Amino acid sequence: MKVLTLLAVHARLMLAELLRAPGYVIPTVGFPAMFFTIFAMPYAHDTATADFELLSYVAFAIIGVTLFQFGVGIAAERGRPWDRYVRSLPAPPEVRFAARIVAALVFGIAAAGLVAIVARIFTPVDLNAAQWMLLAFYALLGGIPFVLFGITIGYWTSARAALPIANVCYLLLSFAGGLWLPPRMLPGVAATISPFLPTRQFAELLWSIAGNSNNALHALGWLGYYAAFFAVLASIGYHRDEQRRYA
Amino acid sequence: MSSIEFFDVRKSFGSVEALCGISFSVETGEIVALLGPNGAGKTTAIEILLGLRRADDGYVMLCGGSPRDAQARMQLGATPQETGFPDALTPREVTAFAAAHYANPLPIDEVFASFDLTDIADRRIGTLSGGQQRRVALALAFAGDPAVVVLDEPTTGLDVDSRRALWSRLRSQENRHRAVLFTTHYLEEANALADRVLVLDRGELTFDGTPRELRERFGARRVEYVGPNGRTVITTHDADEYVRELVHSGVPFQDLQVAAPSFEDAFLAVTGGSK
Repeated sequence: MKVLTLLAVHARLMLAELLRAPGYVIPTVGFPAMFFTIFAMPYAHDTATADFELLSYVAFAIIGVTLFQFGVGIAAERGRPWDRYVRSLPAPPEVRFAARIVAALVFGIAAAGLVAIVARIFTPVDLNAAQWMLLAFYALLGGIPFVLFGITIGYWTSARAALPIANVCYLLLSFAGGLWLPPRMLPGVAATISPFLPTRQFAELLWSIAGNSNNALHALGWLGYYAAFFAVLASIGYHRDEQRRYA
Repeated sequence: MSSIEFFDVRKSFGSVEALCGISFSVETGEIVALLGPNGAGKTTAIEILLGLRRADDGYVMLCGGSPRDAQARMQLGATPQETGFPDALTPREVTAFAAAHYANPLPIDEVFASFDLTDIADRRIGTLSGGQQRRVALALAFAGDPAVVVLDEPTTGLDVDSRRALWSRLRSQENRHRAVLFTTHYLEEANALADRVLVLDRGELTFDGTPRELRERFGARRVEYVGPNGRTVITTHDADEYVRELVHSGVPFQDLQVAAPSFEDAFLAVTGGSK
């Protein structure tokens, strides 16, 4: 009970801080819906295309939130005096991390929800209730390797480098993963590497909801490998930082 | 049971020995200064006391518990280092946040009143002056009404009036049910505020006594003037006698200044320049 209260208190403070940073809110929450409006909506005349685009941009939204909230957020906060102070408070250290997950969920729901709302209003998307539920579930599940990817960026890069690195990873992987252009329209190199990218596999997982991919299990397998890979990198980075700062 | 107890605490970083076996304790009702130049080991000692780092050897007890244990830290309030606040938050938000960690926090308006923050409680911290931010830091340390308070350079960046006001507040009766440990560079602050002073030098505790005893040992003065050989600075235990001799000697001089030394100067005078 006490732990839940602390979690609420930590999450509220973290959200309050993030919500007052337009440089964070606009790209993470606004860009996916904005990109959807500019790049996807003009082509989404029929239901199949509209569903495909919606699912792609939900993936895009989730990836953005995970890379920024965990990558840029951790890199900026670790080692700053405030973080050190928070660690001295009587709370288990996991609370702060759990609060970060809560904040990521809030922003993830906002970013993906905005895409869904825009798609529902302006395009002929047609998903039934079960498909929407499955989308929410897959979005969370498929987001896990990206959370770990973000944590890896957060612990392996400096506060200054994290933002450009997260941005480049975000945009290049989204493009080559087929989130903006369908895989068959990708140019040479991007088309070749696309099937091996976590973004592509995340997209395949979501596309399977509307029957645009029959590779859901295959995609989950790949995402599992990526999760394991980034879990190892994130863990090494985390322990290295802990050892240096707080041993 | 002491509020704070260090027993033979050692800590090294690679080949650098930050703390070479220090022992001291602080009791309820005491205000104790931890004095020392930069690099003396103050930060390391504080980090171990706050549960941020682990001692290599020896132990630290906080009201009978380990500071690594969150439950024991319910008895502890501390200031953030420097003025490291998230700029976008307000004093009210961060103080309520700190207070929420404790079983019986003080009423938040009372905390603001006692640190003169009532009028600025809802402004963003990034817009506050350095001195105002220091007062927010102090509010955080006291918000939970803890039995042990650790203040890291509490008055750095404060003007003289705020510094005096803070000293009298810390010395007031309402804080006599706590143990207060603070770090400082200022000999003057240790004198004015502390019941007892600890001096840390290169990882060793070289002094543990009252401010009066400290004054006797560190009571040097710094005399500065422009003489025939240009600017001359000397450190002496008897500035009166020195100036008397200077005048009698007939040496021409100007711009004579006599001042209490900085901690480093006093330290040099007392340790014979071993630093």
